[in-house]
Amino acid sequence: MYRIRFHGRGGQGMKTASRILGSALFAEGFEVQDAPRYGAERRGAPIFAYVRADRRPINERGIIRRPDLVVVADDTLIPVPAAGVLAGLDAYSVLLIHSHESADTWRRRLNTPARVLVLPLIEESADRADLPYVGAVCAGAAACLLGVISEDALATALRDELGPLGEAVVQRNLDKALAAYRQMVEVCGVVTEGREANAADYTPPEWISLAFEGANVSAPVIHAGLTSSAVKTGLWRTLRPVIDYDRCGRCWWVCSSLCPDGAIQVEEGRPTIDYDHCKGCLVCVAVCPPHAIEAQPERTAESLETPK
Amino acid sequence: MSDVETRFHRFKDLPSTQLLGTGTPMCAGCGGLQALHEIYDVLGEKTVFVNAAGCMTLLSVYPFTPFRGSWLYTAMASAPAGAQGVRDALDILLEQERMPPEEDLRVVVLTGDGAAYGMGLSATSGAIERGLDFLYIVYDNEGYGNTGQQYSGATPHAARTATSRMGGGFRGDKKDLFDIWVAHRPAYAATVIGAEPLDLARKVERAMAIKGPKLILALAPCPTGWDFDPKLTVDIGRLAVRTGIWPLKEYVDGRVVHSKTPHPRKPVKEYLSLQGRFAHLFEPQRNAAELTRMQAKVDEYWADPAT
Repeated sequence: MYRIRFHGRGGQGMKTASRILGSALFAEGFEVQDAPRYGAERRGAPIFAYVRADRRPINERGIIRRPDLVVVADDTLIPVPAAGVLAGLDAYSVLLIHSHESADTWRRRLNTPARVLVLPLIEESADRADLPYVGAVCAGAAACLLGVISEDALATALRDELGPLGEAVVQRNLDKALAAYRQMVEVCGVVTEGREANAADYTPPEWISLAFEGANVSAPVIHAGLTSSAVKTGLWRTLRPVIDYDRCGRCWWVCSSLCPDGAIQVEEGRPTIDYDHCKGCLVCVAVCPPHAIEAQPERTAESLETPK
Repeated sequence: MSDVETRFHRFKDLPSTQLLGTGTPMCAGCGGLQALHEIYDVLGEKTVFVNAAGCMTLLSVYPFTPFRGSWLYTAMASAPAGAQGVRDALDILLEQERMPPEEDLRVVVLTGDGAAYGMGLSATSGAIERGLDFLYIVYDNEGYGNTGQQYSGATPHAARTATSRMGGGFRGDKKDLFDIWVAHRPAYAATVIGAEPLDLARKVERAMAIKGPKLILALAPCPTGWDFDPKLTVDIGRLAVRTGIWPLKEYVDGRVVHSKTPHPRKPVKEYLSLQGRFAHLFEPQRNAAELTRMQAKVDEYWADPAT
């Protein structure tokens, strides 16, 4: 059975990628499951989508813990723990990274037993959540790596999935998907099918057994306020708003009141953006009366930061 | 509202407390979250939220909450029933002097439009009928946003949704929840939007001073469901008001008063053309007939807005 896991950010089309690949496998006569992970599909947030394919009926369900192929649409997700990009990779797995850095660089950086391949990123976008055609590109490259999907099957699947968006959109995506497919020809079929799950191999999760307690103790009651600030939603951000204090009019209310997340605090008229929680919607950039807030690509902003 | 005492005269009077915590799983640029944090800052900490299932159910996912106080999760249709239970429990504690009056809490329902315009309508009608003392906040993003924007009772005519993708989009019309509330003769009802925080703050302040069933109906521009760049949340919100599509009004003392009358009104196409859900009205061909009908509908409303 093939087990494929896609990683991207909300908006990059990982659900679409999984559907295209799933439909292509189906067209090649496989039994298929394709599904995104429900519940976190917010623009910029880490997104997962899964595809299983087998010649026989598939009895496995749920998320894929031991993938044969992992496709990473956005390399900025790799250091994000919540994205879990490297989880479950072993010496038989293939890790395909959509990146403008070389496979050697990633091999050196990552302590993974998996085979590391790079799909060169052709078009960079200031806003990573808007990477053009990335879903189709990832589906196309993955299709070739599996070695069991023809270009025709890929094209049929892409037409099925994107048809309602109109012929022009289909054609642009198809061109990108086929180009990505052909870029992978040298390593075509490099992904091998994983073994059937076997009860004998089952390793129990590393959980801790707790004694049974009454509902007043064990019920999921939250006993303190404002605990949500422990969640660092700043990791969703692909563009960063930066305040130019020379131009800031110290009006204090506009950016702070209108920030949907309440991530701008004001002290003595001076607004400060809480980058741990700013999701990068850029409402503040749009509403600031003297245009004192500028959007910078997150990567650029990070590289300019002085190490503490 | 000029005749009413308010502590919100200008923007600098708005609270800067930021009572609502950060780190919530709402989408970047969420117009509902924007309205909620503005409302919460006026309401204050002594509130208990009763949340009908919807996007904002995800605000409090164990062990995380952005609220400073209690929050109770109910099924889509039963938030007003939950609010009744909480209010009754508080009243009993007060009556039996098991809780000092200063510890009393405001009971606030938080619901999306899916529940408010549809499944929850019957329970809401009952609660208003019983004169329940509660505030009913609706974040109206005009569809079942949390599950991928299927159409709801609040979806406007011609909007594309997950269940009306093809052709001319949604064939029905947006239900008028404000009028449905007004027909019940509630204590108070108002429409608001996060992009107009001063108007919003005054209305919430006013609602707090009145006992009984009260509606705060907030249009919630939704980057994900309406398909626009998240940074445009405020621009689209302001355009909803300035085109006359979202009238800002309140019902108090038995009559409806508009708190803002856009003059001159911008053409509705300025609001529609920024949103992917209406893109089919402009591309590949401009649907002039539909746009004219939609403009005429808004013009008709404003020809006699008092009713």
